[in-house]
Amino acid sequence: MLLFLLILWILSAVLVLLEQRPYRIVIYFGIFSLITSVAYLFLGSPDVAMAEAGISAFTTIFFLVCMERYYAARRKVGAQADSETRANTVPVRKRFVRILPALLFSAGLLGLFIWFIPTGEISTHLRDQYLALFISDVGGENAATAIYLGYRLYDTLFEALILVIAVVAVSHMSWFDGTAMTGSGRRRAEIGHSSMAVFTMRIICPIILLFGAYLFFTVHLTAGGGFQGGLAVASFFICRYLIYDIYDIPIKKVIKMEELVFIGITIVAVLAIFLGVVEFAQIPPVIYLNTMNVLIGMKVACSFFILFYRYIAIERAS
Amino acid sequence: MLTFFVIIPVFIAVFLFVFSSAKTARILAIGFQAALTVWAFYLLLLCREAEVVTAVGDYAGVLGIFLRADSLAAAFVLLTSVIFLVLSIYALHEDNSRLFWFLLFLLEGALIGLFLTRDFFNIFVLVEVSTVVVAILLMYDRKRRNMAAGMKFLMVNIIVMQFYLFGLGYLYMLTGVLDMEAAASVIQTLNPRDLALPYALIMTSIAAKCSLLPLLTWLPKVNTMPGARSSIAAIMSGLHIKSGIYLFIRFQEVFGGMASDLFLVIGVLTAIAGVALALTQTDIKLILAYSTVAQVGLIITGLSVGSGYSYMGALFHVINHAIFKVALFLGAGMIIRLYQTRDIRNIRGLWRGSRMISIATVMAIFGIIGAPFFNGSVSKYLLGASVSGALEWVIILINLGTILVFLKYAAMFFGTPPEKLETSSAWRCKLGAILGLGALCLGLGLFGEQAIAFIFNAQVSVDALGYLEKSLIFAASLGVGFVLYRYVLAKRLDSARPILQRLKALDFGFGVLCASMGVFFAVVLVVVGVWGA
Amino acid sequence: MNWLELFPVALFFISFFGLLIGKTVIKSIVYILLMQTSVILFWLMLGARHGTAPPIVQDAAYLANLDTMADPLPQALMLTAIIIGVSVIAINITMLNALFRKYHTADWKTLDAMAREQEDNDS
Repeated sequence: MLLFLLILWILSAVLVLLEQRPYRIVIYFGIFSLITSVAYLFLGSPDVAMAEAGISAFTTIFFLVCMERYYAARRKVGAQADSETRANTVPVRKRFVRILPALLFSAGLLGLFIWFIPTGEISTHLRDQYLALFISDVGGENAATAIYLGYRLYDTLFEALILVIAVVAVSHMSWFDGTAMTGSGRRRAEIGHSSMAVFTMRIICPIILLFGAYLFFTVHLTAGGGFQGGLAVASFFICRYLIYDIYDIPIKKVIKMEELVFIGITIVAVLAIFLGVVEFAQIPPVIYLNTMNVLIGMKVACSFFILFYRYIAIERAS
Repeated sequence: MLTFFVIIPVFIAVFLFVFSSAKTARILAIGFQAALTVWAFYLLLLCREAEVVTAVGDYAGVLGIFLRADSLAAAFVLLTSVIFLVLSIYALHEDNSRLFWFLLFLLEGALIGLFLTRDFFNIFVLVEVSTVVVAILLMYDRKRRNMAAGMKFLMVNIIVMQFYLFGLGYLYMLTGVLDMEAAASVIQTLNPRDLALPYALIMTSIAAKCSLLPLLTWLPKVNTMPGARSSIAAIMSGLHIKSGIYLFIRFQEVFGGMASDLFLVIGVLTAIAGVALALTQTDIKLILAYSTVAQVGLIITGLSVGSGYSYMGALFHVINHAIFKVALFLGAGMIIRLYQTRDIRNIRGLWRGSRMISIATVMAIFGIIGAPFFNGSVSKYLLGASVSGALEWVIILINLGTILVFLKYAAMFFGTPPEKLETSSAWRCKLGAILGLGALCLGLGLFGEQAIAFIFNAQVSVDALGYLEKSLIFAASLGVGFVLYRYVLAKRLDSARPILQRLKALDFGFGVLCASMGVFFAVVLVVVGVWGA
Repeated sequence: MNWLELFPVALFFISFFGLLIGKTVIKSIVYILLMQTSVILFWLMLGARHGTAPPIVQDAAYLANLDTMADPLPQALMLTAIIIGVSVIAINITMLNALFRKYHTADWKTLDAMAREQEDNDS
């Protein structure tokens, strides 16, 4: 089964590689992400699979917005003689000859790589210790959660930080310097979108929110956690956007909140793990894990919500 | 304790960003930087006795993340805090928003974290953080920023970090740990052929970070991006590239000095290429940026020689280079503001135009070319002390090249200045910052032996006779360089020969940059795998 | 060595090939994403060498099937890597949008030429 998936996976990647039309690249990339996510599930990592599924939804949206701008920009200058236009007029055989050196080079590297792949067995030293100790050390029932909220919390802190930086960067790098947003506030169906899609979304929307909340609070028990829950909550806002053409959420406050939540995460992390308060005060680990997860979930939800709104409302506007 | 060296700058950065105005941020920044410098000094004192270790969380064995400060790491932390203190003083009167201070603090936290951590994956995370922060800082100026070059920088760095992560996978597979010291002890028992692949993958990423030979053009390009301020260029050349060198040192330790002969060759070639490219440039920032590449090549050469004095000299040269290159870049920023141009051919009469900038720049130049009594001379003396034969001559030749480059650079002191050169009173902080760095160049040169004993906790003795010999060699190469430059090179470099023009505008496309990564990877893999170490 | 691990290796070099020939910035970003995915899948395959059961303890008798569980460490690490990857990609795409606005093209060669022009004007 895994073999079958992997073959499909490689094929979809090759499809992405061969495709020339930008919109289709995005579609094929979505397929690729879906297969990847299922493959992760087969490899025994539901946490990563969930995160990948959530992330790929956002990446696809980012790309779609980007494509829209791309076509708008190209329409503006007309069929300019840049290499993309030129590439489509070159016959296939000639194109092949042109890429042949690159193909041979990559194939040679691949061969070299395979020739030198280490043959040793994987060392299970850390795995065995983590699996044996995580319940007494950190608590909870999910070993992956225990690692990223306990043993390697220091990494997770920087991971949260890079989301803060990404949000700052996106608003600084963007051509538009500000946070203004516009929207008609009407139902999509009234503007002329498919009413069936809107109807479906209205049913799905609360389910997604419920699912996000479930992920928030049961982290220590099953797969999922702050990241995945945050992504689910953020995708609730996407659905909301699909139903109403509306931007009534004050984005500045959300940005502020995101930074405050990051400060909260830092404080909790420093107190709980770096200074060892959890151990010292005999706080049940479930409380710590849940606090941290809710904070991280809020952080991720805010970040992706801001990114999404930024792309849809500002980057998309022309 | 070590955790807080990283957490506090990050925390203060976000805190200032949320709660304060730009003015309070500025004042707090100076105060905090000064305090951090003192604290880093204290850390260095602590490390002289024993390694300071902090386990994040209190977990058994190597389950958690370890931060370790030996004297090398503590020296880098002190260097970082000193440079950032100088930069905050320099940038005090610029109209920087909160965002600038936010990013500056984050970068400081990430760099200090990089120097203290001994966890492979943590290094990946921190390198990504610092890369993204540097990318934003490089495009800080909204109006004049060069998006295309910035994207190239960011994307190349993401790709090399994928190489790193891939290599890390194999390393984890073989050793079963992510802690450097634990991994190093396992690696000694492994078959070198198995190590070839992770080594090549990881070294490709580190070489790109240090901008070694095939991957060297991206660094000078981003340094001179129109939107990048001189203070940011100073961080790029002075500190950010040092994080690559630091990782190089650490990973060579982990892998037990594999392929040091290869890196010796690559270092020498990088130095030569850097000198050649620097000579052809006319943009003063590009000259400085390419001379950074040459000095990095020299440092990598010294580190790969492996024997005591050269290694020490290379380490000391890292510190020295950070100091004088930051001084040069900050000085260049002021010169550009003064003359409104970056073309060295149009900058003349600086000595009469602005005495203070000239003094600081001259001191930094004396440092970089290794004039006696300046810090560069000590580190270059040590670099050349334990090598012999052809390599000694190569090092002298590289220094001759550096002298040539800076003779070209020094041409701007002479001649008559243009009519109006406006300096303002707000420049006092800037002048103080670069003069302080210049004085540091002199101080570290006069007390080189003691400085090395203090910083690296290692005894070196600078032999007076040997030092005199090196000084004579320096004087001779200065003379040769002057004659060579004045009568041979000066005219030819300005001519419009196609090869010179091509070198001057050297800029690889994205595909070529990726291909050079592949070439580097293949070379390291074949050398390590086939010939073994 | 598990030969299925050759799949991510192959994808790594397929996307590397894409980066070599990619003419537009958009395609380069997509290939970087493919590259990231291949590395992540490789790590998870390493973790699954000794078993593919999720490392979640459902009942007290978990010690019995400890051997069939996947390694939790790669999962935690890759979660971090995914988030970092998507943040960087988001930044890249924003820059790309600003690029379209300014230069109306996503072609590497044209962009390089335009950037050079801008630098020449600047200095």
